[in-house]
Amino acid sequence: MRDSDQPTRRSFLLLAPLGVFVSIAGAAFRFLRPRISAATDRWLDVAPLTELSGSQPVGRKVVAEHIAGWAITTEEHNVFVLPAKGNQVVSAVCPHEGCEVLWDGQRNQFSCPCHESYFGAGGARISGPAPRGLDPLPSRVQDGKLQVQYGLPQEPGTRA
Amino acid sequence: MTSRKSSANKSNERLTSNQKIAGSSNGIQAWLETTSGIVAVLLTVQFLTGILLAFYYVPSVDHAYTTVEFVQKVVSSGAWIRSLHHYGSQWLAFFLFLHVVRLFWNEAYVDRNKLWIASLLLLGLVMAGGGTGYSLPWDARAFFSTRIAEGLVSGLPFVGRLGRLWLLGGNEISTLTLSRFFALHVLVIPGLIAGVIIWRRLTFGNVERNAIAAWLVALALALWSWKFNAPLGPSTTTVTADYLPRPGAQFVWLYQSLKYVPGGLGSIAGLVLPGVALIVLLSLRWLRRARLIGTVILGSGALLIVGMTTASYVSDYKNPNVRKQLAIQDAYSRLSPFAPSAVRSSQTDNTNTDAAAPVLYIKWCANCHGRNGEGGQQGQLRFPPLTGVSTKPRRTVDDIAGLLKDPQAYGLQPPMRSFADKLTEPEMREIAEWVHRLR
Repeated sequence: MRDSDQPTRRSFLLLAPLGVFVSIAGAAFRFLRPRISAATDRWLDVAPLTELSGSQPVGRKVVAEHIAGWAITTEEHNVFVLPAKGNQVVSAVCPHEGCEVLWDGQRNQFSCPCHESYFGAGGARISGPAPRGLDPLPSRVQDGKLQVQYGLPQEPGTRA
Repeated sequence: MTSRKSSANKSNERLTSNQKIAGSSNGIQAWLETTSGIVAVLLTVQFLTGILLAFYYVPSVDHAYTTVEFVQKVVSSGAWIRSLHHYGSQWLAFFLFLHVVRLFWNEAYVDRNKLWIASLLLLGLVMAGGGTGYSLPWDARAFFSTRIAEGLVSGLPFVGRLGRLWLLGGNEISTLTLSRFFALHVLVIPGLIAGVIIWRRLTFGNVERNAIAAWLVALALALWSWKFNAPLGPSTTTVTADYLPRPGAQFVWLYQSLKYVPGGLGSIAGLVLPGVALIVLLSLRWLRRARLIGTVILGSGALLIVGMTTASYVSDYKNPNVRKQLAIQDAYSRLSPFAPSAVRSSQTDNTNTDAAAPVLYIKWCANCHGRNGEGGQQGQLRFPPLTGVSTKPRRTVDDIAGLLKDPQAYGLQPPMRSFADKLTEPEMREIAEWVHRLR
């Protein structure tokens, strides 16, 4: 037992337990890596086409499922069907800061209650701080029903 | 005191120079001196993996099992991290016991009493950490572990009834119990362990030898945890009657002992005797015939632990039915796939109103917004539902009361009207409070 005579060997031995902690640190990195939840690609019923008459935008709710790691949450989201644009479906979330826009039938425009952005009946931005028009959602018609996909926002301020 | 310094080895830990040790302790004796390093590394592993597990764990009976299962089956390296923590606690208890025996052998209680006391306290705290930790996954095993803890505490003389209530946080095992065990396990006990370590730092005799031993043990633990997943039983809601509860390795002696002790005396065997033994060992320094007393306590303790643990494993192994069932339980945690659990969302359950609508709401609001705030339609006019309105911006109780007075100020358009001339302030508040609770 003459370890103390050999400084190199000594410091190497002291490093040995450290190796275990390094491997734990490596595992910790993998362990803690953020989980990007895949946007749910399920088609959600908005309304039967027969209910979508008239020229005014129609507000509807869709219930979308979100999976965050171990948790499934179901959330209601407001959407608008725009007859002016061939029943395109837009999210009611204002592309500015994420408040929900309201339809003002008298002025024939959407208004955001938070920072006074205004959008036309086709969803295009009219005025206010919003950077763009209301965000369209992927939609289709299946069995006489209008359906949308409501994905998770990939980055703040964007939809689907 | 000095006359009792018979063993040359006992002062090794104080020495920073290795020359003396190199001459005086060799062979098995020298390697037995390395328990300090092993304990230090295992404790560090417990702290690190515990912190990592806390990143996912949720201490609520609704989610605890799901989050542990998620860590075990989905998160990268999760099974390894959890297994390190699980088996690490058992190894830590084992090596701390060896450490205490070794210190006793070296008569540390005579000339290094602080170290002796600190090591005993650490052993007690590590056992307490294990005891509270087994409840946290909230699987079938956790349920039985919590039940046993409840039974042991409630059987204590004089303080049993009150102790049980304080332990459970109520008169039954509930989510409050889980929260208590969680707080003890991740805050109180680690805090006390850190305190003990700061109070009397673990010192290492021969640093190299300690490093080698600690590295070997840690490597073995890492490989063991790699090979064997920490067990995770069925959740408490899916457990079947044929489930066989078995405690973690460091409590098997207690589990087996309770088989031989008549019901009422379980607490004596499980809590009072170990407690008394701990107190006697802590005060060994001031006792006559310390050597004899310590030998009796530690010797009978070691005999009990080894004997009972062996008896338990042997009896499980001998019974084919038990062996089969235990194998099924062992496979369960690996075979069943992970299923995410539904978290109740605040906005979807429209029918959940916890109280009937106020009369004034029915009179002034229900015609348009529906009797339960579900919204409505009259010809061309659509009236928005009020359910979940509290999650929208600017819709606190104050806001709702305010918009009843002046809807335009809140961006609302006709036909929503002002009720300033119909309702008094308190009446508006009453309505607002009810609407705000709508889900």
